[in-house]
Amino acid sequence: MGIFGGSKTPKDDWSAMSTVIKAEAKLQTLGEITPSRRAGVIYRNSDDNAFLGSIESELKSILYVGDGATKTSFEVEDDDRGMRWIVLEDGNFSDLVSSVYTVGNAINMNDGADNLLAAVFELYFTGTVEDNTYRSGTRTYWIYRYDRKAFYPFVPTGENEGERDRPTEARLGMDLREHGLTIEKSLTEWMGLWGIPF
Amino acid sequence: MYFTMAMLGILYAVFALFLLGAGTPIIFILPIIGAIFIVQYFMSDRLILMSTGAKTVSEEQEPALHKMIKTLADRYEMPMPKVAVIDTAIPNAFATGRNPKNSLVAVTTGIQQRLNERELQAVIGHELAHVANRDMRVLAVANFLVTLTSFLMTMLFWNMLFGGMGGRRNNNGGGMMMVYLVTIIVYFIGQLLVLALTRYREYGADHTGAEISGDPGALADALEKISGTVANIPDKDLRKLQTANAFLIIPAALKGQGSMNLFSTHPPLQERVKRLRELEQRMRYGLR
Repeated sequence: MGIFGGSKTPKDDWSAMSTVIKAEAKLQTLGEITPSRRAGVIYRNSDDNAFLGSIESELKSILYVGDGATKTSFEVEDDDRGMRWIVLEDGNFSDLVSSVYTVGNAINMNDGADNLLAAVFELYFTGTVEDNTYRSGTRTYWIYRYDRKAFYPFVPTGENEGERDRPTEARLGMDLREHGLTIEKSLTEWMGLWGIPF
Repeated sequence: MYFTMAMLGILYAVFALFLLGAGTPIIFILPIIGAIFIVQYFMSDRLILMSTGAKTVSEEQEPALHKMIKTLADRYEMPMPKVAVIDTAIPNAFATGRNPKNSLVAVTTGIQQRLNERELQAVIGHELAHVANRDMRVLAVANFLVTLTSFLMTMLFWNMLFGGMGGRRNNNGGGMMMVYLVTIIVYFIGQLLVLALTRYREYGADHTGAEISGDPGALADALEKISGTVANIPDKDLRKLQTANAFLIIPAALKGQGSMNLFSTHPPLQERVKRLRELEQRMRYGLR
């Protein structure tokens, strides 16, 4: 039993993931975060799969060709724990979210959801504002777990496993839920991702 | 809250009229009820002290705690309550006393160790708010009415089994049965109303405590810390998770919550924390 009760679990990824657009917009209006432009999709790679084997060209045609063409840029990166990241960047947050959804959905369609771990959004909370930097304050990640269809905040305090700011995360989770973000109710499922490549 | 209190009042007034109408000799049980009430009302602090193992501590023994409570009591403009400590690792705190003059605040050694000064202050502020809002008195009266009905319920039960008292057999069995059934219904409705009232009082104390301290977030932090929810956030990396989760048939979202609400005395923690955080937001942004 988590501390966040209430809303029903949405059926599909888009209805859960898209709640991030509203929450981000609301926090910007309140002046609590700086504009966010980076996100990533993490999955367990397998080169046997034809789609995953040529992910770069596949994503290029999915993201940039045809009706749904976007301006979102992306990079493919492998981390030291055997996972592959698609790191996306877009100045328009709702475009970023839909590109993230598109990438996740494409992997899901071609390889199934089992190897699809999470989508991660990077957000900076204002607080201590440093001059001349558009990113300032506390760096947080909002992790969307595909198997849970819900978000939770992640505030790492170091590169090592277990190093995270739990009280801030718990508070943030409560706030974000208030702002309409679909939050993972069970805190024990709030697993971290240390060493995010962006 | 006032609605709940009014409902309680109406419930028992109607019930009393019903009993009189049905010819139940309520006069007979009044002395016993009076005695129960006196014990409940005047002895409750001593009974609680005995049952929890709380020991009153002097200013010399616990100077910091005394000072903190004194500061808060001054803000509530109430006399200094007695201070007690319970030697247990379980984090908890309570207040008792029928009025601010006879009040007592007790904390466990567990809560003293676990919370920082700001959070402990918020918890004690919440307990003193119970005293300031005269919650013990309200609940004593409300509980008393429930005790009364349960007493009556037992009486009627034995009365039906052994057929009346002192040969008064002018009531027929059917009428008696009716009175018994109504008593049971009144007992359960009364119980639910008292529980609802307790929950409102809990929110009320959260609110009053936050207004006095000006820091609603402190109590929210304390509640989260005491309940150990923050500690549930794992050390584990998501990449270590096997795909076993895909086989979970019942999603976590379907479990728990909801059904317990009506019967629990304290409101659900997340609801209290949520309200406190909202209050914090309003105070911070000056919204109303």
